[in-house]
Amino acid sequence: MSAMGCHEFLGRLEEWMDGDRPLNSRAHLRDCPRCRSLVGDFEAIRDAARATAVLDAEPPPRVWQALRAQLEQEELIHDGRGRRAGGWRKRLGAVFGTPPRPVLAGAYLAAVVAVAVALVVPARQASEDPWMTHTRTATQPLQAHLASAAHDTISSLQGSDPVVAASLHQNLAIVDNYIALCEKSVSEEPDNETARDYLYDAYHQKAALVAQMMERGEYGP
Amino acid sequence: MISYNGSAARSRWKAAALLAPGLMLLGAMAVSADRMERRFKVEAHPVITIHNPNGAITVRAWTKSEVLVAASRETSVVEVFAEQTGNRVDIFTHQVSGAATPEELRADYEINVPEDAELEIHDDSGGVNVSNVLGDMNVETIAADVALQDAAGYLTIKTVGGSFQCLRCAGRIEVSSISGSFRLIDLRTYNVRAQTSTGNILFSGAFLPNATYRLKNYSGVIEVRFAPGDSFDLSATSLRGKVHNEANLTPPSHHHVLPRFGNALFGTFNSGRAKVDLSSFDGTINILKRD
Repeated sequence: MSAMGCHEFLGRLEEWMDGDRPLNSRAHLRDCPRCRSLVGDFEAIRDAARATAVLDAEPPPRVWQALRAQLEQEELIHDGRGRRAGGWRKRLGAVFGTPPRPVLAGAYLAAVVAVAVALVVPARQASEDPWMTHTRTATQPLQAHLASAAHDTISSLQGSDPVVAASLHQNLAIVDNYIALCEKSVSEEPDNETARDYLYDAYHQKAALVAQMMERGEYGP
Repeated sequence: MISYNGSAARSRWKAAALLAPGLMLLGAMAVSADRMERRFKVEAHPVITIHNPNGAITVRAWTKSEVLVAASRETSVVEVFAEQTGNRVDIFTHQVSGAATPEELRADYEINVPEDAELEIHDDSGGVNVSNVLGDMNVETIAADVALQDAAGYLTIKTVGGSFQCLRCAGRIEVSSISGSFRLIDLRTYNVRAQTSTGNILFSGAFLPNATYRLKNYSGVIEVRFAPGDSFDLSATSLRGKVHNEANLTPPSHHHVLPRFGNALFGTFNSGRAKVDLSSFDGTINILKRD
């Protein structure tokens, strides 16, 4: 077991991606599959962005700002100002001895969305024509990750309250349909910013929904 | 902390209460076969958290400086907990045994709180009903419907499929859902942000001066009902759907770039004191006169 925890590692993720990799961070990453997977996704997104040859070699600062804001929102890293830091799930964790892993899952998915979205923005500003290409490149890992996470969580919902499970399934289908229609719309009108905004909204919704499904799968009904 | 699982637990807790009254904090307990009741003395602005996977949660404000928790469960498959830590009261339902039907897991709560209480509520299925609570509120559900009456503060509501209704609420409202519909009636809020993918959104009531209303969906109907005395600056855009308007709008005086896509409507009603922003992907937007 490494001395560093997930909270601390995620708080230093920006430095890690900048190449500042102290021994305790390395040790944590070696022992923690979730953080390792998260870093792997970010590296994949960064590599995809590099491959477009339009973006800078390194993601711009606002990518990390987006990530940091998302992680702070999810209370994975914070400075103690959060009104609801130490919320219900942490207290339940204290009572039942369960670590707040779904919180990490939620932040994980939401952060991947935040980074993917942040990466594609400059491409569309730089040139409308290749925007679709860049969007696809940056969002492919995101799509794959969300699809994989959704697939994994569906089986974990067996045994949950059927009303809740049915609602989650039904709404996942709604969001998937929403994404498909938005993608079609963006494909037909690549310079339609409203359609893009709806597409990103849909990605965020799917990430949030899959995170909720993960929670239900881990804690049960 | 107190658990609720029949006579054995009752005896255990009675003994604990005799041996260590400090453990019981300020609560008083009364337990019947399927009902638990506890009271907690609290100070100003207490925080109440409620986590109940299945069942109805009803919260009402009262004038006492205490929290009264009345819980009833369907079976002993679940335990009901209520504990106080400082000025916070945590209430939650815990499943004891593995396999159970949803009905067996059901627990219902009726809770009285001081009107300045802050609430954090999680209820997957069942329903949430809150009345006259003026503190900040965070409600999250999956399929459970949420109804607030005469609430205030910063209200954050998230559902997956549950509907939301807010009647005479004040303060600030942020509500989001995937398929839930919203009814926002006679609000006194200065900031409303409502977003649902496939649900309908109804707003009926006065638009407050300097308030901001942002209503957004993907499909479904957004309906706003205005009165002749209202004053608002309107932006309504549906990318694929239609916009129906009964308001006699003055075209915007400032330069306004019309979107190249979809159906859009911009204008000012009376002096334009409130800001109303309605947007939909392929839903219909109705701006109608209020009766």
